[in-house]
Amino acid sequence: MNIKINVKDYESIVSKSYIEELSMLARRLSGKTILNINSTFAGGGVAEILSRLVPLLNQLGVDVRWQIISSDTQFFEVTKKLHNALHGKVEPISDDEFSLFLETTKKNLDQIDFSGDILFIHDPQPVALIAKKGDIGRNWIWRCHIDISHPDSKVWEFLKQFVINYDAGVLSSPNFAQELPIRQFFAPPSIDPLSDKNKELPAEVVGSVLAKYGLNQDKPLILQVSRFDWLKDPLGVIKTFELVRKNFACQLVLAGGTASDDPESGEVLEEVKERAGDNPDVHILDIPSGSDIDINALQRAATVIMQKSLREGFALTITEALWKAKPVVASAVGGIPLQVKNKLTGLLCHSIEGAAYALRQILANPDYGRWLGHNGKEHVRQHFLITREIRDYLLVFLTLERNEDFINL
Amino acid sequence: MVIINWLRVNWLNIAVPVLVFFGVFSISLWLRRISYNALERWLKEKKTEIGKIIVSATRGPFLHWLLILGAYIALQVSVLEPQWKSLGGKILASIFIAYFGWILIRLSRELIISLYPNKTKVPSRAITVTTNVAQVTIIVIGVLILLELWGAPMTPIFIAVIAAIVVGILAFRDILPNLVSGLQLTQQKQIKTGDLIRLESGEEGRVEEITWRNTQIKTLNGSIVIIPNTKLMQTTIINYGKQPKVAKEPFEFSTRLHLKELTGLSASNLSQLASSLKEVPDTVVYYHTHSFVEEYQFLTPEPTNDFALWVQDALGYDILAERLASIDTFEFSTIGALRQMIIGVIQDFLAQTSNEREAPLGNEFHFIKSISIVLPTPYVAHDLREFVNILRRISIGSLYFHIFEAKLRLQRRTNDISLWLEECLGEKELAEQITRLDPYNYTMENLREIIIQLCEKRL
Repeated sequence: MNIKINVKDYESIVSKSYIEELSMLARRLSGKTILNINSTFAGGGVAEILSRLVPLLNQLGVDVRWQIISSDTQFFEVTKKLHNALHGKVEPISDDEFSLFLETTKKNLDQIDFSGDILFIHDPQPVALIAKKGDIGRNWIWRCHIDISHPDSKVWEFLKQFVINYDAGVLSSPNFAQELPIRQFFAPPSIDPLSDKNKELPAEVVGSVLAKYGLNQDKPLILQVSRFDWLKDPLGVIKTFELVRKNFACQLVLAGGTASDDPESGEVLEEVKERAGDNPDVHILDIPSGSDIDINALQRAATVIMQKSLREGFALTITEALWKAKPVVASAVGGIPLQVKNKLTGLLCHSIEGAAYALRQILANPDYGRWLGHNGKEHVRQHFLITREIRDYLLVFLTLERNEDFINL
Repeated sequence: MVIINWLRVNWLNIAVPVLVFFGVFSISLWLRRISYNALERWLKEKKTEIGKIIVSATRGPFLHWLLILGAYIALQVSVLEPQWKSLGGKILASIFIAYFGWILIRLSRELIISLYPNKTKVPSRAITVTTNVAQVTIIVIGVLILLELWGAPMTPIFIAVIAAIVVGILAFRDILPNLVSGLQLTQQKQIKTGDLIRLESGEEGRVEEITWRNTQIKTLNGSIVIIPNTKLMQTTIINYGKQPKVAKEPFEFSTRLHLKELTGLSASNLSQLASSLKEVPDTVVYYHTHSFVEEYQFLTPEPTNDFALWVQDALGYDILAERLASIDTFEFSTIGALRQMIIGVIQDFLAQTSNEREAPLGNEFHFIKSISIVLPTPYVAHDLREFVNILRRISIGSLYFHIFEAKLRLQRRTNDISLWLEECLGEKELAEQITRLDPYNYTMENLREIIIQLCEKRL
């Protein structure tokens, strides 16, 4: 992946002093090597964030490297089950599957070059590589990007035996904290304001994307972006829209994709299309992955953005919406309340009726919507941009061996 | 005998040129005296330095030039053969041109220096370069005149000179505009060494040196920025002027970043909240009573502390939320005292409540610890002007450290800024004005602006 990014480009977004402070921190890591290990170089949120974090940290002068574990389809089938189980889904995982996980780890322990002062291990797939700590020592950090607030106990107990040997864990939400003998730092995920998904777009591009999908440019647009999954409650979104449409002329766009590793998504899409029927104001868009500019344009064209999920991890789609200064109506689940502070940076809801009421408030009061959108954007600027994630990681690396609450660097 | 006879025959041919020589010399001498006296009187009235330099430098040589003039006229009235007259005339003219050129060369440096209103601020390199250019020009012109006088072929020489000039211009094309700009800068007194300036590009610092090519400024973070003079002339400059009163000790800006560490502790009702509050470290109480200051920079007014927010949003206790929100953190000098106050308010409320409410699943209160990481910045203020200018550009974390952490976590009697103003600059009144500000009632950006305004008013 060839991404041309320059850390200086972020000065105009987060201020020059912010980037200066990142450089100051980076200088203090001079001579240290940080090795990231995850399961893939492409595809998925972790690879996406690492593909931008690594070059930015290198530009700041930190020797950051990135390796992946070698694995096969069977291994990924097991880790997919582990992932679902950590999210609380009941997944039968056999002893053979646990053994396969350990065997793959063992192979990687022999193959991977662990040369680094700090080993930064991402997510459950490579978590058992901690076994190497006994041989080589050094500092090990486990970065958990997924929601482990209500994990399947059997799977969590299996993973916990590895996690407890790390020097620290980094979690995306306070809700994810577990009873562990190691330090747990809180560092929410982030978006890159300069990526295709989030960068500013000319009005012509937004207009052409709307035309491409046959959307009315003059009608208020309610948008939910998410893959077709029951947990995103697409049918609830349509019901909400129908309640709102009684009083407001508007259109609904459900934009998302179907994941190849999720056989259910095709079924969900079909049912959603059936439920939408021939309503000309409901647009179900099956957008292939990688259509970042299209998603960006739809978000920028939206009047209100919804995320009526029943369960949610952190919901970076909300972060993207807030960054575009859009008023947001979202369920108070997962990491959403961290981003949507009710009535300050958006509106939280707990039901279809509540969501419809929130939508009506915004549609009837555009100034209120703009105020929420402005606040949301500033909230993201302070807390959920990639520069903040870089800063948090640099601070974790620098303070790993210090137990004081007040540290002079 | 031969000589006497020759003189007897030719005495008139000798006497006439000699008389003409002395006559011209005497009249010229008289005219020189009158004109120089008049010139000196005029210069005395006008007080021009250039005139004085010219008069004093040419008074002696002028006498010699008159001698050359007398000799030349005498030669022309003599009965010598025309070719000898021509040769003698050329020799005398050459002597005059060489002599005149030499005097001009001697004068050039003094004249160039005198062109500047404030000579002490003129970069010496600029004077040297200008003088060299003037002297070379004089020599080239003198040589060309002499060659013309002696009938040398001029066309190839002119071509060579023009080629040399073109080469010179090309070689110095980058330097010349800077040189001219440097001279303009100093002549127009727009900036001087020691001035604090701010450029359109945001660079800011004290002028260290103005050379013939560039101007060096020492920025507020101690680095040296070298700006070509042409660029400086084309940009908008704010000149804050000379340094005001220098502080006994400089203000060294630090910045504070923080890490959030999860304690694993949570509460889903008021009793658990109060119970955990008694146990958690000070840094946890500090985090939940201060996070809003940094978290909600974009909101005016900012929301209140985390306890009040949670009690309202998750438990729906509006009255308790109001009581918790109204606790004036500014009044407390220790976290321990603040903690006791919060626990007291919750327990008072619990004593009057029969059925405790439970927070909905997923809305529990999670206790978070704030780890402060402090590091020095390169920004150092030696006076109030520098302080204000640095304050405009430092991060929120830096301002936060010097205002909030200094008092409550480092137990200083007031914020760092007020301490420095009072103890190092003797600005007691300004220090008190800043001490009186309740920082919890402002966003950090508002606070920054208010402090800047107070300092600007004092400046």
